[in-house]
Amino acid sequence: MRKFRCRFCSHVYDERLGDPDSGIAPGTLFEDIPDTWLCPECGASKADYDLIEE
Amino acid sequence: MSADAVVVVGAGHAAGEMSVALRSYGFTGEIILVGEEAYLPYQRPALSKGFLTGEIAHEQLYVRSAASFAKADIRLIPNVRVLSIDRARKCISASDGRVIFYSKLVLATGGRPRRLALTDARVDAAPNIHYLRTIDDVTSMQNSFKKGMRLVIVGGGYIGLEVAAAARQRELNVTLLESLPRVLARVTAPPVSEFYAALHRSAGVDVRVNAELTGFVFDAAGRVVGVKTRDGGGVAADFVLVCIGLLPNTELAESAGLKIDNGIAVDEFGQTSDPDILAIGDCTSHPNRHAGRRVRLESVASSVEQARVAAALLAGKSLPNDSVPWFWSDQYKLKLQIVGLNQGYDQVVLRGSPDSQSFLAFYLKDGTLLAVDAVNRIRDFMTCKKLVAARVSVDPSQLADDSIPLTTLVAGKPQPV
Repeated sequence: MRKFRCRFCSHVYDERLGDPDSGIAPGTLFEDIPDTWLCPECGASKADYDLIEE
Repeated sequence: MSADAVVVVGAGHAAGEMSVALRSYGFTGEIILVGEEAYLPYQRPALSKGFLTGEIAHEQLYVRSAASFAKADIRLIPNVRVLSIDRARKCISASDGRVIFYSKLVLATGGRPRRLALTDARVDAAPNIHYLRTIDDVTSMQNSFKKGMRLVIVGGGYIGLEVAAAARQRELNVTLLESLPRVLARVTAPPVSEFYAALHRSAGVDVRVNAELTGFVFDAAGRVVGVKTRDGGGVAADFVLVCIGLLPNTELAESAGLKIDNGIAVDEFGQTSDPDILAIGDCTSHPNRHAGRRVRLESVASSVEQARVAAALLAGKSLPNDSVPWFWSDQYKLKLQIVGLNQGYDQVVLRGSPDSQSFLAFYLKDGTLLAVDAVNRIRDFMTCKKLVAARVSVDPSQLADDSIPLTTLVAGKPQPV
């Protein structure tokens, strides 16, 4: 399961956890998140996330 | 020295993002970041939010890990200040004596907090008057940031309000002094200012507007024990935080003869008046197509966008900075998200009610949408970004009517820029 970091704030999207408050079930792959989804912390869009590679 | 070396003055958020993007765009030359602070490039927004309350550790602020920077072959030189630029020889001189030659130079010097204008030497010497811009600024306040301590915040902008919220969360005693008639005066309309002042008061912050700071009361050891305001009033204080604005760090560029215009002046690609020097982030002023004028923005989104555009330019690509400015602020459990620049508005339309703590404020000029403030309307924010980007002309009554889905208004009549 991968993690992605919002380029603007410290929010991390963890595929294992999803984002249930926004309707994204745990286990949802980043690619499968709808394009209308926004960072729950700051409002950045999906395109503003980077894969955390470590 | 490699034939191709990009040297960055500054190692903050913009510098960090620029260097990573540059490498990812295929640049194979040297990339060197020279920063005054001791830390890896990090994000500042949490300094007045989760990092201040202790919920976030500073490692979580880093743009990338040390290992990531090493893997991308990006060299970081911390704790070093660049003193001058020699544009003819294309090198910089630093505080540790080193001289670094560049093929291209990127200035990412950021900004520094505006200091109080009081002419009293005790103000500069007082150990408990604080400013907020860096990790070290926050850790220097840590011993005071405790339940029952009396904090006076000078300045009712975003930083002041965010710190007030964080301080109340930790049960400090908080007084906030704003010299203008309302908080957030620079950035929002009166209904939004009133909403935030009321929100803070209900959380226990003593918000005083029209309350210009005129001086301090010191004890025998030179510590501030109280503040004085224009109306003759005063407040006891254990420590003071001053947040009255940010000044762009343009001195290095100015000494080198680069064009300055409310920041280091750059074009939409990040290019300064020197073909081999770019500038990005809080230190710059740049043309914003959306606003139709040159702007200096204190915004993470703007800084990161500029960073990516500059990286593209250096990697031989072309990516003009075309973004619509946007911003966010967290106070208590409320999200304030802003898109667009509202200067020059002649009409404000509210959608939803401030009493419900979930509403939108639309700023229009001549019937065209300039900007939106969204309070706890996270799901509407993407639509608001689209509406502002399209510069739609919308019937204000439709904007105000919460029963008409915002998404249906996106097809409104766009106005030419």
